[in-house]
Amino acid sequence: MATRAHLAVSVALTFCSITSASAQEPAYFVTYDHYLEERGNLEIAVATTTGLPTSGRHAYTAPWLELEYGLTGWWTAELYLEGVTTRGDGNAFTGWRFENRFRPLKTEHPVNPVIYVEYEAVNEASRIQKEIVGAGGVEFEPIDELKDEHERELEAKLILSSVARGWNVSENFIVEKNFSADEGLEFGYAVGVSRPLGTLARGRSCLVCPENFAIGLEMYGGLGSTEGFAGTDQRHYLAPVVGWTLSGRTSVKASVGLGLTDTSDRYLLRFGVAYELPIRTRQ
Amino acid sequence: MSARSSIAGVCVFAAMVSIAAQPQRERTWVAPPAADSRHNPLNEEAEILAGGSKLFRQRCALCHGQDGTGTNRGPNLMTRHVQHQSDGALFWKISSGNTRTGMPGYSFLPEVQRWQLVSHLRAQARE
Repeated sequence: MATRAHLAVSVALTFCSITSASAQEPAYFVTYDHYLEERGNLEIAVATTTGLPTSGRHAYTAPWLELEYGLTGWWTAELYLEGVTTRGDGNAFTGWRFENRFRPLKTEHPVNPVIYVEYEAVNEASRIQKEIVGAGGVEFEPIDELKDEHERELEAKLILSSVARGWNVSENFIVEKNFSADEGLEFGYAVGVSRPLGTLARGRSCLVCPENFAIGLEMYGGLGSTEGFAGTDQRHYLAPVVGWTLSGRTSVKASVGLGLTDTSDRYLLRFGVAYELPIRTRQ
Repeated sequence: MSARSSIAGVCVFAAMVSIAAQPQRERTWVAPPAADSRHNPLNEEAEILAGGSKLFRQRCALCHGQDGTGTNRGPNLMTRHVQHQSDGALFWKISSGNTRTGMPGYSFLPEVQRWQLVSHLRAQARE
């Protein structure tokens, strides 16, 4: 009941931010492609990850706020603030993340690389799962205990992204170092394919027409660490994604992640809305 | 999580926002010669042009202005320099973008929509 109320509040807050507004949102939650935020634009996004674990564990919802700014045409910076709420186990602020993405090539190529560097100051209650690395499941100790266990992590990704016959194909290779624990380097991956549904743009504005939708499929998970591959203890998810551009600058996306291993949660449901705000403009 | 570290994170982000680079213009951005061999497959039906106009308002007007004559974020697209380029070259630039000037690439749009944008630019220049 409490979880349902938290979900309702999250969804309500999310839709409060929808106003009329040109989004460039790919239909991915975890996988990154080579499209950076437009220079001078600030994207404000609210999203949630809801985990439905195997029986005997608490379901949880982890909301996050994302502020993404295009500093230049080749550099985008993002700040995340995140939290968690669980069924019957309370709530917590779980920390912040600061990420930077750099696109070294001037124009589009068959394969477009992007370098990603992120610093995370989170605690062990963090469950947004914007990336999955290493091995082992989500921690299910009481939130009150987990929130006092702080982690300082540095994460790097090599993002490769291509466009072929209307499809975007992206691959992310992830390496993460937790400076708060002796865990070695942890590895992970995310791959995705996505395409817009529409073809010719209609002359009149429409809300529910194919040109406003994009569909995709993501797969992501951990690949162990320098301490060991731990193949049977890794989490992997396969997640269909749909993105909907509501009007100009506002977009919504949703995904149902299916856990592929015993360590994975059974389902990861994700929902997000983004609003793009040009803040450096003068006519 | 200490409040101090959270505030520090917000401050760093705010500082980076405030040092955003000034707009750059690049006069020598030239499409590869192969781009010129591509021709616009669309005719100039009203519905196609109306769709191109809508896409321009959604994707391009913020930087290039509603009438394409430019703002401080993006250049005037109605000039002879731009309009003398081939349809294929304009299509290539719309698709590729240029990270040095801040022009985003629109390869994520269906190919036909990028051609609609080219058609719109031609129609707009004739008005």
